[in-house]
Amino acid sequence: MQDYHFEENFERFPIAMAYVPWQHLSCIYDNLEEAFETGTIFPELDKPFTGRRVV
Amino acid sequence: MSNNCSEQNRMLKDISIIDFTLVELTQYLDTHPFDTQAMEYFNHYARIKNQMMQDFACRYYPLTTDTSTDRKEWNWVLSPMPWENVNDPYPLADSTPNGSCNNNSGRGGYR
Amino acid sequence: MWSYEKRLQFPVNIKNPNAKLAQVIISQYGGPDGEMGASMRYLSQRYATPYREVAGVLTDIGTEELAHLEMVATIVHQLTRNLSMEEIKASGFAPYYTDHTVGIWPQAAGGIPFNACEFQSKGDVITDLFEDMAAEQKARTTYDNILRLIDDPDVCEPIRFLRQREIIHFQRFGEALRITQDRLNEKNFYAFNPGFDTVADCGCNNN
Repeated sequence: MQDYHFEENFERFPIAMAYVPWQHLSCIYDNLEEAFETGTIFPELDKPFTGRRVV
Repeated sequence: MSNNCSEQNRMLKDISIIDFTLVELTQYLDTHPFDTQAMEYFNHYARIKNQMMQDFACRYYPLTTDTSTDRKEWNWVLSPMPWENVNDPYPLADSTPNGSCNNNSGRGGYR
Repeated sequence: MWSYEKRLQFPVNIKNPNAKLAQVIISQYGGPDGEMGASMRYLSQRYATPYREVAGVLTDIGTEELAHLEMVATIVHQLTRNLSMEEIKASGFAPYYTDHTVGIWPQAAGGIPFNACEFQSKGDVITDLFEDMAAEQKARTTYDNILRLIDDPDVCEPIRFLRQREIIHFQRFGEALRITQDRLNEKNFYAFNPGFDTVADCGCNNN
């Protein structure tokens, strides 16, 4: 039984608070060894440091 | 490195990879406890990891104190510590008469 | 309670000692945004949380941070273990060496010893989760800064791994906050502390 909600109508969220969007699991990396070297099995959370702006 | 060493390191790496997958799924499930797909992934990899831990303990040494093996000696303390460096010219000493991977008997020389 | 697996979460095998780098990386061991602070913060905050999902996140991430503490210590250990006296003198490492030789002792890069002032455990689940999200961003920024400073791939790899973990943890704390928000009254999230105030028990009686 789940008693919290996944809806994301941020415009209707109360002010004076901050909200992080939910991750919805779609897939994990096929190659778990590469995922391990990267630091996550979730492609949507893979955010490397490049030290420069990405165009 | 001998063949035995590289097989052992490969097995340790595979355990790390599977355990890491479980850590990711654990933390995801903590905030998504009803996600059945994640639960299936978790159960699948947990079975694999348990088997790998047992296999590693039987072939080399236990990675947890409560993984039982058929050995007569307490390999838990005699096996390499995780922070030992494979590249180290002065590895740690232990009481084993035969060196195991990454761990020669006796201390190295002085600097 | 805790059990221990005799391996690092991510391998560390450094070929080249480097005292200068060790002095910087020690901040992630005992510094203000380091792994000791992270693990103690999350593990301390668990007790006052009223929601099991949040306590679970704090326990599991706090435990992973202990594994990261071990990795950071290993990096510093491997960078310093085989230093010569000439290298120690030339790199500015002599003060730390005097007090600790090449042992591992929790301090910030600037020398301030690890202490509990480096984290807060406020006893209010909303406040604690914001503290945690900020902590993960601070740690990520510290790793960004370290990545700019180093070019040894043996050190880069575990540092990149640790940095990526902070981003995942931020997401999980954010989700824990969403769970908390869902359990509270959206008209006023701040009406009471769900971990402390019971239904009829407010002394000042403000409605």
